[in-house]
Amino acid sequence: MFTIDQYAYTNRLRVIHPGEKMAFALITLLIALIAPNLVIPAIIIFLMAGITIGVARIPVRFYLKLFLVPFSFLIAGIAMIALIITTQSLAVTKGITFLGWTIGVTPASIQLAGKIFCKSLGAVSCLYFLSLTTPMTEIISVLRKLHVPALLVDLISLNYRFIFVLLSTVDDIYTAQASRLGYVSLRTSYYSLGHLAVNLFIKTYKRSRELFVALTSRGYNEELKFLEVNYPFSWLFLFLAAGLDLALISLTIISWR
Amino acid sequence: MAAILEAKAVKFTYPDGTQALKGVTLDIPEGKKIAVLGSNGAGKSTLFLHFNGILRPQEGDIYFAGTKLSYNHNALKKLRQHVGIVFQDPDSMLFSASVLQEISFGPLNLGLDRGQVLSRVQKAMEATGITNLKDKPTHFLSYGQKKRVAIASVLAMEPEVIIFDEPTAYLDPKSIKEIIALLETINQQDKTIVLSTHDVDIAYSWADYTYVLAQGQVIGKGKPEEVFQNASLLETADLTRPWILDVYEGLKKKGWLPVTAPVPKNKAELLELIPCKSN
Repeated sequence: MFTIDQYAYTNRLRVIHPGEKMAFALITLLIALIAPNLVIPAIIIFLMAGITIGVARIPVRFYLKLFLVPFSFLIAGIAMIALIITTQSLAVTKGITFLGWTIGVTPASIQLAGKIFCKSLGAVSCLYFLSLTTPMTEIISVLRKLHVPALLVDLISLNYRFIFVLLSTVDDIYTAQASRLGYVSLRTSYYSLGHLAVNLFIKTYKRSRELFVALTSRGYNEELKFLEVNYPFSWLFLFLAAGLDLALISLTIISWR
Repeated sequence: MAAILEAKAVKFTYPDGTQALKGVTLDIPEGKKIAVLGSNGAGKSTLFLHFNGILRPQEGDIYFAGTKLSYNHNALKKLRQHVGIVFQDPDSMLFSASVLQEISFGPLNLGLDRGQVLSRVQKAMEATGITNLKDKPTHFLSYGQKKRVAIASVLAMEPEVIIFDEPTAYLDPKSIKEIIALLETINQQDKTIVLSTHDVDIAYSWADYTYVLAQGQVIGKGKPEEVFQNASLLETADLTRPWILDVYEGLKKKGWLPVTAPVPKNKAELLELIPCKSN
């Protein structure tokens, strides 16, 4: 979490207009989702990984580790899709038959599973590109420019800020407990963890009151106003991104026929 | 000197029954440096929230520039435009992840246009020495840096009075020095500064005028030279005497200084007083 955020602020593509990066990531994501076969999503995975690692200079090891997060969910999910349980022993089914029930796979189910696997990872690679190259503050500012309802954007931006406040509060309480042997055994761990949760709730509540007071004293009037920063447009990035997406779209159209 | 802020017989009790202010009367003279001293729970922060219209006195009144505060929308807006508070914990002030947007929040609420806001933000960042933090997210900043961002966010509103609640708490000596220097610069721009502190040495050397609060009441006021020589007052307020005065009294007692020697305001003045060794 912290590391993703740090890379978002320090990567080599930071200077590119956030709107361009968002458009590129989302359009590519859409292509990955509507593509009829698994080749196009597979190309997208390599493309996005290539840009994120090669151009934005996100370390390979960190990037691969990040990919492992959805991987385990994905494996469990597609295993269920690939496996078929049936009473009709079809010729194409490869599997074990037991008491008239066959559990196994068919070429069609494997292909479907493969397609979903590639599409999911393709989509993930697009989102990782966005979250590793674009700071949340800039994404929020693009959302605001796109006239996403102010209430929603305010909530997103406050949430983003408070994730860090909350995490540091958790960290402080945990350290204070651990230094007094609060996590020395399983029993004390449960006890301490319970108190941490309660305390966190109280502290968060107190903090939100303090924040409200501080905002009021600076003239808060039920709307968080922000100064919009103008980011320079990068024609080169726009041109390359559009080119790549157009190529992917043509590939998609060709494979539909 | 005209008073820009006044509290007249202000009483305030929190919902939990804590009597925070028991009839506080004091005035803040315009353009001066005011230190409000008192132990924890003396009522300093509660008083400050009254000066910003966040809390409303249950009895008594608040006056701004001679006018009684009326607590309607426009009066509050005007008050908050002219009186800014820098709270003790910067984390409770910073709501945005972007330094630039944080500082621009106040000026935007004043209804200024983009250009004016930008130039004010720029000025505030220069004054607090944080121009280099512009593109950093607030959660990567150190405590001292957050404090500066909090100060800049109030400075950018260009209030006439700035209230600092314990500005030097938790800071390292170098940062304390820099913050005090910053307060000095702000004051030289004809702004009134009110600050609360436990640090008697800072209050003594820095302030033009001092109020001492204890248990929700003003128990002493005056120039720092007067207030800090009143031993019984300091005792009641749980405060100590500044070291400069301790040394000054000691030197007088041992005959190094004439009884008529002027009271030194800071270290430099004290050193100036001490005569050279004559053989």
